Amino acid sequence: MTVPIDQHTEGGKKDVTFRVFRFNPQVDSKPYFDDYTIPVERGVTVLRSLNYIKEHIDASVSFRAFCQAGICGSCGMRINSLSKLACTTQVWDVLAKSREQGIIKVEPLRNLPLVKDLIVDMDPLVDKMKHYSNWIDSTMPEASMGKKEFLISEEEFLRYDKATDCILCASCISECSILRANKEYVSPAVLLKSYRMNVDSRDAIHEQRLSELVKDHGVWDCTHCYRCQESCVKSIPIMEAIHGIREDAIESRGMKDTSGSKHAEAFMSDIEKKGKLVEATLPIRTNGVIWTLQNLMPMAVKMIMKRRTPPPPPLVKSARGIKIFREMFREMTEHVKQDHKSHKK
Amino acid sequence: MKPFDVVIVGGGGAGLYAAMEAMKTNPSLNIAVLSKVYPNRSHTSAAQGGANAALANKAKDDTVEMHIFDTIKGGDYLADQDAVQVLCSEAPKIIRELENMGTPWSRMEDNTIAQRPFGGATLPRCCYCSDKTGHTILQTLYEQCLKKGVIFFNEYFALNLSVNGSRSRGLIAMNMKSGKVEAFPARTVIFATGGYAKMYWNRSSNAAGNTGDGQAIAFRSGIPLKDMEFVQFHPTGLRKSGLLITEGARGEGGYLVNKDGERFMARYAKEKMELGPRDLVSRSIETEILEGRGFDSPAGTYIHLDLTHLGADLIKSRLPQIREMSMQFEGVDPIEEPIPIRPTAHYSMGGIDTDNFGRTAMEGVYAAGECGCVSVHGANRLGGNSLLDILVFGRIAGHTAAEEARKFEPGAIPEAEIKEQLDAVRGGMHSSGHYERYGALREELGQTLARNVGIYRESSLLQKGIQEISELKERFKKVRVFDTSDVFNTNLMQVLELKNMLDLAETVAAGAYAREESRGSHTRVDFPVRDDAKWHKHTLATLVNGKVVLGEKPVTMGRYELQERTY
Ligand SMILES: Cc1cc2nc3c(=O)[nH]c(=O)nc-3n(C[C@H](O)[C@H](O)[C@H](O)COP(=O)(O)OP(=O)(O)OC[C@H]3O[C@@H](n4cnc5c(N)ncnc54)[C@H](O)[C@@H]3O)c2cc1C
Ligand code: SF4
Ligand code: SF4
Ligand code: FES
Repeated sequence: MTVPIDQHTEGGKKDVTFRVFRFNPQVDSKPYFDDYTIPVERGVTVLRSLNYIKEHIDASVSFRAFCQAGICGSCGMRINSLSKLACTTQVWDVLAKSREQGIIKVEPLRNLPLVKDLIVDMDPLVDKMKHYSNWIDSTMPEASMGKKEFLISEEEFLRYDKATDCILCASCISECSILRANKEYVSPAVLLKSYRMNVDSRDAIHEQRLSELVKDHGVWDCTHCYRCQESCVKSIPIMEAIHGIREDAIESRGMKDTSGSKHAEAFMSDIEKKGKLVEATLPIRTNGVIWTLQNLMPMAVKMIMKRRTPPPPPLVKSARGIKIFREMFREMTEHVKQDHKSHKK
Repeated sequence: MKPFDVVIVGGGGAGLYAAMEAMKTNPSLNIAVLSKVYPNRSHTSAAQGGANAALANKAKDDTVEMHIFDTIKGGDYLADQDAVQVLCSEAPKIIRELENMGTPWSRMEDNTIAQRPFGGATLPRCCYCSDKTGHTILQTLYEQCLKKGVIFFNEYFALNLSVNGSRSRGLIAMNMKSGKVEAFPARTVIFATGGYAKMYWNRSSNAAGNTGDGQAIAFRSGIPLKDMEFVQFHPTGLRKSGLLITEGARGEGGYLVNKDGERFMARYAKEKMELGPRDLVSRSIETEILEGRGFDSPAGTYIHLDLTHLGADLIKSRLPQIREMSMQFEGVDPIEEPIPIRPTAHYSMGGIDTDNFGRTAMEGVYAAGECGCVSVHGANRLGGNSLLDILVFGRIAGHTAAEEARKFEPGAIPEAEIKEQLDAVRGGMHSSGHYERYGALREELGQTLARNVGIYRESSLLQKGIQEISELKERFKKVRVFDTSDVFNTNLMQVLELKNMLDLAETVAAGAYAREESRGSHTRVDFPVRDDAKWHKHTLATLVNGKVVLGEKPVTMGRYELQERTY
């Protein structure tokens, strides 16, 4: 259905065109968009607008919604190309930033299989939660439960307080750059949940969980692009969880694992033991400069900043590869420092 | 399909605890949880405040006995005292159990579970995790169920019980992803489908799916419902959505103001003003609206909750959630302008009549949580007692069903019944003769309930309500399902939910009309006092030959004699 776009304000209302992604696997061979133009007053959310469209214009427009209060995580969708909750997103706010005047584009989340229109299949997320044991396996035997409390300090509570805000809306999953290429990737929400379990002193399977996390498609695949954290609808510092798991992995598992931590470990020990970077042992050789920078440097720099290791001394060799590397290292250090500043709240 | 030993309908706190406990009771049983939304989406996640338990972490002199008394008094003496005994004495154990399984409770200075004061409780005994208690409890239970390998049928919509004489043979449900109607032959079925307060539609704080499906299915199978007329209203719901603005806003000094700019609470509670008890404040706001002193808007009449005088700093530091909600759902920044609010239907005390073990009147059918009515809340639920209810009685129902499952022979569900359900489901999709819009019917149902079966009830209004509900039911026969697709047909799901709400609305209105007294949440202006001689009893509503028939059931008393309820 196409209605001419004629944006005007009248009696406190604006005509808004919702350009809605449509796909019904039973009849459509490929997706398309339908336009619905409705008057929207201030204070109305995207979800209310979609409800209005469904009730008054086209009952077949399909999307999930339940609590309508930003707590159940049902209504994740892409609104003007950003993944968020339809029920907490104000139409007028989005409109002010719309690239095409008066138009709001609504699409399903990415990186999860499409079911119909704005509905995606959440099962892959649940499967990953299972795969990475996203639960507390209590140190207390089941038979003794209910008798006494664990004593937990406020400090420990604060370690996982923010992470337990997660409502599994999958907005971060939709924005994750690695997931676009590799659907097997653990995914940010599951890393967050894994971290939350790992820092809980009541849990008994930290080692087991960690050993899964460091395998292929696990924590080392993350590129530190920060997109998950930027899109999190609950403003959870997801990156802290990812860094946390990586540090934990290196600290408690050393270099036993897959290429990721092996390289990180080698890199760190080079700096530490020899006081200089030895070209031959750098991961650049096996994985290339870009890969090394993206995957290992931020971590290494963070560890340096936390004073776990002495800062790297000036690079000694002047080989071409090293020269590029040195420059990039410097840039990267700056970049990570800034990142940390701007992302730490 | 191989018959199940236990099929649990509902993946909220009650359903998940039932599943866990059933597996624990007998690990060899074949158990499944069926839910119309992914379990972690269930409405349990919306509970912010907390769950009551006399842990005595905060108030060292707190006791289970005091919790029992507060609950009985709060329920205006309509709760069954033996059930309340179970609820409150199991409370400390179940809260610790959750703690032992990983629920991130907020902590006291001595590292024990934190507790805070809550309405109607003598001492601070409400255990909480910041303002996300229900959410974290639900997460914990879901995680534990995944760990235990509970089988989930997510996004399955329960349609009907298959009944053979006095026994259930199992459940018939629709797979939302495929649109197929499937049979779940089962020895036992537990209903844990949550509350029905969404029938007040946008005058409700509830999730869109709190439509009382389990209650309606049970009712249509001849199982009695109890105390359906008791629906709790919260004073401050947002105008457009009915979503809750918590008491914190008034606690910090917010004013309730009518369109004449008057702080009207002076008329109703001179001393406590805005901080009077929930039901009183709700009634006062409603009076202002009814007497024409509210603000008019297309989304309905409302009054102002004014925080502007508190200043930006206080609002930002102490009430950030409330500010965020006002901005997200009303587009109003409370620093700059007042929040439009009105009372909102919040909790349903009534539900499927069960004994203290979760058993219903039908063999092999159980109920728990907001969907059931034991009754522990009587005529009015105390804040923080509902999360407790779903945990304690969810667990009990899971245990009972698991113990009793093997007593029953599994029956097969006849093909004809499945076909019948499929035809019923698809009935509204034919264009000929079907034209009513579900959206309009739903809206009108909410309006007639709020107007005639709302906070203030009165004989002629209730009659009008009953009349209008039956007209809506007539019109529903002509409802049109415009979306005719099989895959994830949310239009169809909403129509099915509307049917359930219409069936239950009749029992709410009938119960309210019959009960000629005022007790707890039920206020009759024509019968303003509690009448223990005539009405100290539960209402039962049963469907007999397509008609609601009202009956009664005595209240189980115990240590506490009837007293006037004053605060
Ligand atoms: C805003 C708000 C705040 C609250 N705060 C508190 C508080 O602070 N403290 C407190 O104690 N209580 C509080 N309550 C009340 C409490 O949250 C609920 O009573 C309780 O969570 C209900 O849990 P439940 O398990 O019975 O049902 P729910 O959590 O509602 O779960 C119902 C389940 O049934 C499933 N279901 C329903 N119909 C079907 C069907 N047809 N087919 C298949 N599955 C179906 C749903 O998918 C869902 O999984 C609050 C309620 C609200 C609305
Ligand atoms: S930082 Fe890692 S997890 Fe987050 S979006 Fe980027 S690649 Fe994905
Ligand atoms: S981490 Fe944030 S964005 Fe990702 S699922 Fe959880 S709440 Fe949603
Ligand atoms: S509908 Fe629950 S988060 Fe939007």
